[in-house]
Amino acid sequence: METDRRTLLKGAAMAAATALVSPHSLSLPVLGAEDLPDDIQWNKAPCRFCGTGCHVQVGVQDGRVVAVAGDKAADVNKGLLCVKGYHVGGILYGKDRLTKPLLRRGELFEEISWDEAIETIAQRIMKAPERFAFYGSGQWTIPEGFAAQKFMKGGLSNNHIDPNARLCMASAVTGFLATYGVDEPAGCYADLDECDVLIMWGNNPAEMHPVLFSRVIDRRSKGQKVRLIDIGTRHTRTTDAADDFLMMKPHGDVAIALGIMHLLIANDTYHKAFVEANCAFRALQAENPTLQGEAISFDEFKQRIAKYTPEHVAELSGLSVDQIRMLGDLFANRELKITSLWCMGMNQHTMGTAINSMVHGLHFLSGHFGKPGDSPTSLTGQPSACGTVREVGTLAHALPGGRLIANAEHRAQCEEFWNLPAGRINPTPGYHTVKMFEQFTMPDDQGGDIDTMFVQVTNPGQSLPNLNKLFNDKQNLQDKFLIVSEVYPTATTILADLILPAAMWVEKNGMYGNSERRTQQWFKMIDPPGDARDDCWMTIAIAHRLMELGHPGMKDKDGNFLFRVVSEDGQEVPIWQWEHYYDVNVDKALFEQYRAFTTMKHKNLAPYEEYVKARGLRWPVVEQPDGSWRETKFRFAGFDDPFVAKGREIEFYHSTSNDGRGQIWFHDYQPPPEVPDSEFPLWLCTGRVLEHWHTGTMTRRVSQLNRAMPTAYVEVHPDDAAELNLRQGEVVVVQSRRGMAELPVWIEGRGKPPRGSIFVPFFDESKLINNVTLDDHDPFSKQPDYKKCAARIVRKSAVEVASR
Amino acid sequence: MKTTHDDDKPTGRLAALLLFGVIAIAAIGYLVGINDGVPRQATTETRSSILDIPAPVSIDAQPGEGTLPDEGNLLGAGTQTNATGPVLATSYSEMRRSQTGPTSRWKPTLDQIPQPQFDLFEEFKPSEEEKLQSLAVRASRRAFNGAPPIIPHQVERTDDAACYACHGKGMRIENRVANQMCHPFLANCTQCHASPSPKPFDQYDASVESTFVGLPAPQQGARAFPGAPPTIPHSTWMRDNCLACHGREAGWAGLESTHPWRVNCEQCHAPSATLNQAISSSELAFLPGIPVQSPVTAP
Repeated sequence: METDRRTLLKGAAMAAATALVSPHSLSLPVLGAEDLPDDIQWNKAPCRFCGTGCHVQVGVQDGRVVAVAGDKAADVNKGLLCVKGYHVGGILYGKDRLTKPLLRRGELFEEISWDEAIETIAQRIMKAPERFAFYGSGQWTIPEGFAAQKFMKGGLSNNHIDPNARLCMASAVTGFLATYGVDEPAGCYADLDECDVLIMWGNNPAEMHPVLFSRVIDRRSKGQKVRLIDIGTRHTRTTDAADDFLMMKPHGDVAIALGIMHLLIANDTYHKAFVEANCAFRALQAENPTLQGEAISFDEFKQRIAKYTPEHVAELSGLSVDQIRMLGDLFANRELKITSLWCMGMNQHTMGTAINSMVHGLHFLSGHFGKPGDSPTSLTGQPSACGTVREVGTLAHALPGGRLIANAEHRAQCEEFWNLPAGRINPTPGYHTVKMFEQFTMPDDQGGDIDTMFVQVTNPGQSLPNLNKLFNDKQNLQDKFLIVSEVYPTATTILADLILPAAMWVEKNGMYGNSERRTQQWFKMIDPPGDARDDCWMTIAIAHRLMELGHPGMKDKDGNFLFRVVSEDGQEVPIWQWEHYYDVNVDKALFEQYRAFTTMKHKNLAPYEEYVKARGLRWPVVEQPDGSWRETKFRFAGFDDPFVAKGREIEFYHSTSNDGRGQIWFHDYQPPPEVPDSEFPLWLCTGRVLEHWHTGTMTRRVSQLNRAMPTAYVEVHPDDAAELNLRQGEVVVVQSRRGMAELPVWIEGRGKPPRGSIFVPFFDESKLINNVTLDDHDPFSKQPDYKKCAARIVRKSAVEVASR
Repeated sequence: MKTTHDDDKPTGRLAALLLFGVIAIAAIGYLVGINDGVPRQATTETRSSILDIPAPVSIDAQPGEGTLPDEGNLLGAGTQTNATGPVLATSYSEMRRSQTGPTSRWKPTLDQIPQPQFDLFEEFKPSEEEKLQSLAVRASRRAFNGAPPIIPHQVERTDDAACYACHGKGMRIENRVANQMCHPFLANCTQCHASPSPKPFDQYDASVESTFVGLPAPQQGARAFPGAPPTIPHSTWMRDNCLACHGREAGWAGLESTHPWRVNCEQCHAPSATLNQAISSSELAFLPGIPVQSPVTAP
């Protein structure tokens, strides 16, 4: 009896030990902390995955992440997460984490020291700095992106730096620029709490942005009414919850937007007062079209759009005339608050800029803009596509803070901020992603003028379109050198010449910027495994070695190191030495430097310390008379945005027409670059699934997630399957003119494509669907179209017979 | 000549018959095989056209079944239900695809499944052995204590109604328990709860090599003194329905409350503000201590 009680008490004490936490500068509050052993430390961090930007509380015990909880203090997710977020801790602990720098020696790799690795890279760059390219990511933290940007454009005078976000949201950027004159959404997630109608354009948020989706549909269980309209090319989990499902043909979205605008004008139901006060009309020039286009009159707009009658639009889009009229009536109704939501469906589109601009234009024309719940909202797929790529401008044509390479004034401003000699920044934009990889995989003697490429925080060997053209060719080229900073072996490391083990997520300090302009900060909580190190450190260490080798660009105009960081007592800290990298907060130093760039386009950021206290702040963040910092929820709206002129309800203060007006665009419908024919009779669409994120390198190392979806597949309509005589689960070959992938068939699967259409997720590195996709891209954003190309399914037995 | 011819005749007829039989079997086999492996939705349209029967009356239209929509489908009752006419036999050609189950004459609802009855006022002694077993099962279904459990059974449908049918109130059939949801109704179950591999891919190797070690579940709350009510050792955020786990009806064996007649749990069992992320540290304040003058000691 006595022993029983003793074990019970012991058990209780142990249980308390495991369950309790210790106080920490940022940790959760502790009540009665004195009786709690110093065991688990909880700390805030944004989730590692998508652009939603949920905050998690990370539980750390003995230097390891052991638990994750939704952060109740976070406005984005209010304590809730999705299945990936709850398991985000597991991504750090895959057994095959890379822990040593590895240099290729023929077929094998040799473990080398970091000094050797940095030396190798510096020598390659030193040999031909202009033939070096830096391929980055929307998963770069803001300081990482800023360092890479400064290193390339401010140091090497080389603009060949582009991110994977080119493949992900470049069309959203061009859409915003063409329409508002400045990038990023006007509204925020609060629109989802207010809207009466939510229109999802080629969007499946139930799986891709689940926390935002449940934020809307949970309103129904609270008794609120919200109508969900799903415009898509296949039946998804989002469709299950939608009130209306409008099945469109691929590319039909352009016609639908035109059709609704036509109806608003034809029925005279457009919002005259709003348009007269806040809008102007635009179209592309007949020759040499530019992103800014040319002004057209309302009458001209009306004339051009006249042919997009419901009947014509029905033919182009596959919707019925009634459905198009229903949408027209919906937008004509001023009593309703309408929010549009989109992501890759509209962005990965050869008319991406056009459809993005026209959905904004549709909201302008109908006046569904500028009030909470009345908003066109573009979502992003990566945690810092907005923060690092769009704001820091890690694109081949951009400079930080919305500046452009091609603009001499912008270059001069950056040179001043960076304390560089005048003329340091190269005035010619660099190669965008597709072009960059074309040049890298092309032999030198044929004009391939990129020899050395450094890839950080992304996996182009899986995520680029048309891999056989843009990536796989590298294999046969001796003179090309691929450096990959990674956490796991990937489709990219297969062809790498030098692999660098990277620290990830809470193994380093970081800052992200999510889809609703929210800048977030976190601290390093645990050490990376083995010799893995921060990506930001790699860039700085390479820069320092180049300086030692005599590269003049690695010094500012006073002769100081480009990344000079001083401690509180004014001494330079040797942050290029890993042992000293965390002697100071390098993130903070870089961020404070970056802040100065952000005010020109009114994307003002608060000091670093403000982000330490907050669960992210939405820019513009403006200092108040009392010294506090106020974030902005609704941009361009007089009631909330401090930069709107007093007395104006709406003002686009970076308008391309210089009069505070937003642009309503007309674009003619253009057919897709490739349509199914007798040889390749099926539409192929690619995308994601709930449980896996992008190329799956992280989520496929979490058993709970991999169990839920252990393989990629091809969704096939039952009638197509019957016609092709395919069995459920049978492995077939999906072919296009560019390549093939072997995938098991899923009939009546999670998504249900219509007849003549198939869907394949791209997360599975053993079944690369991007061998099949095409690299045709939008003329302005240069973003490829992953959502539609012509393909066919061939049974494996038939392929074997044919190859005999 | 004639006799020989007559002698041959039965053999020829037999051969023709055999040939006919072989062809017929081949034809049937072909027709059956042609669709092999391709599941078809058991839509009413196809049935109607094949069997030429009137379209079945909607399940919802039947009286007394408004509480759980589509519960017929949940139980696999997808066969045509002709509410008034006789029950039609399933043709052999349809048999392979037809779902077996109750007819319109007899149709169970989940409510009709008898649930064990417990005496609310009987003191209960949970078994320590069962508790350890339950904790082991629970641990096998989540990455760490506090993670949403994975779905341990095959799922055909992932809509809320399907999950809610069993997990809304919780259910016990023999030794199988469908736990009640421990959190308020949220509308997208699979957002947090990972389903098992979909049917066509359940043979794929989904194993993952990982060194992640999750936070274990606490075994008991801390007591201030022997006999004091233990504090709640886990977060009650998303776990605010205590009876979902600690109730006898559909809770976990060994984790049941010893005093089921008391239903206001937090009256005695204190939750942890820390684990619940309840308040921010800046709000944690006490008044300054009472300024007591130190006694002047006489020289």
